[in-house]
Amino acid sequence: MTTILQIADSVTAQLNAATLSQTFEAERLYVPNFDLEDMKELRVSVVPREVQFLPMDRSLSRYHGKIDIAVQKKFSDGDNVEIDPLVGLVEEIADTFRLKRLDSLVAARCIEVENSVLYSTEHWEQLRQFTSLLTMTFELAK
Amino acid sequence: MTDLLRIGQNWLAGKLKTHASQSVTYKRDSAEAELQATIGRSTYQQDDGEGIITRSQVRDFLIDTSDLVSSSIGSLPRRGDRIHQSDGENTIVYEVMSLGGEPPWRFSDPFRLKLRIHTKQIDTISP
Repeated sequence: MTTILQIADSVTAQLNAATLSQTFEAERLYVPNFDLEDMKELRVSVVPREVQFLPMDRSLSRYHGKIDIAVQKKFSDGDNVEIDPLVGLVEEIADTFRLKRLDSLVAARCIEVENSVLYSTEHWEQLRQFTSLLTMTFELAK
Repeated sequence: MTDLLRIGQNWLAGKLKTHASQSVTYKRDSAEAELQATIGRSTYQQDDGEGIITRSQVRDFLIDTSDLVSSSIGSLPRRGDRIHQSDGENTIVYEVMSLGGEPPWRFSDPFRLKLRIHTKQIDTISP
């Protein structure tokens, strides 16, 4: 299996095994593509995004695999009581991986976590749906 | 002076309600009202945010402004209001929300007789 998919699968498995404030079944997907009707339940999608090879030494490269984790849920009121726990969950997910090695692929270490889309205003406005996107970079020698 | 356009629009609005509408349940929090609505438009839309796609069934409901305002709802539409429409044995639930760059509703005529309410399907209730 390719390295980026190994990373994505490891992330998915680790998310499903983790004890977090909310329960969900994370899925590895290429393009998260759901019907609005299906968004009543919390959905967590793990998406392989990008691979970069950087120089390390004469024989090895620093492999950077970027993984997106999308946290999505249709809300009813969109007030703080409803949304704060979702924002909290996103941070919990980030903390699960930040600066740590993956349980089932210990060569890979999470060196960067970005939450550039804390919540998508477009999805908020158009779908009344919370969508947050975490991008994690895992590094290993290859 | 008589406003013929307004009279004509009023007549047309009445015809739509009498001959081209169906009963729907309009809900806001615990308040609800049975209203006559004409289906204005029904399309399928895909929203793509950062490569994350959400598809939805979009439907416009045309409801007489006076019907909604004088019902137990008591005011113009708001984001998050819900419209329940029967479809055979099932009930389809639509939620009032923005469509593209448009606000969630607008008056559908210059005389503010009818409302065009944008909704997206969020649930199907089966018996």
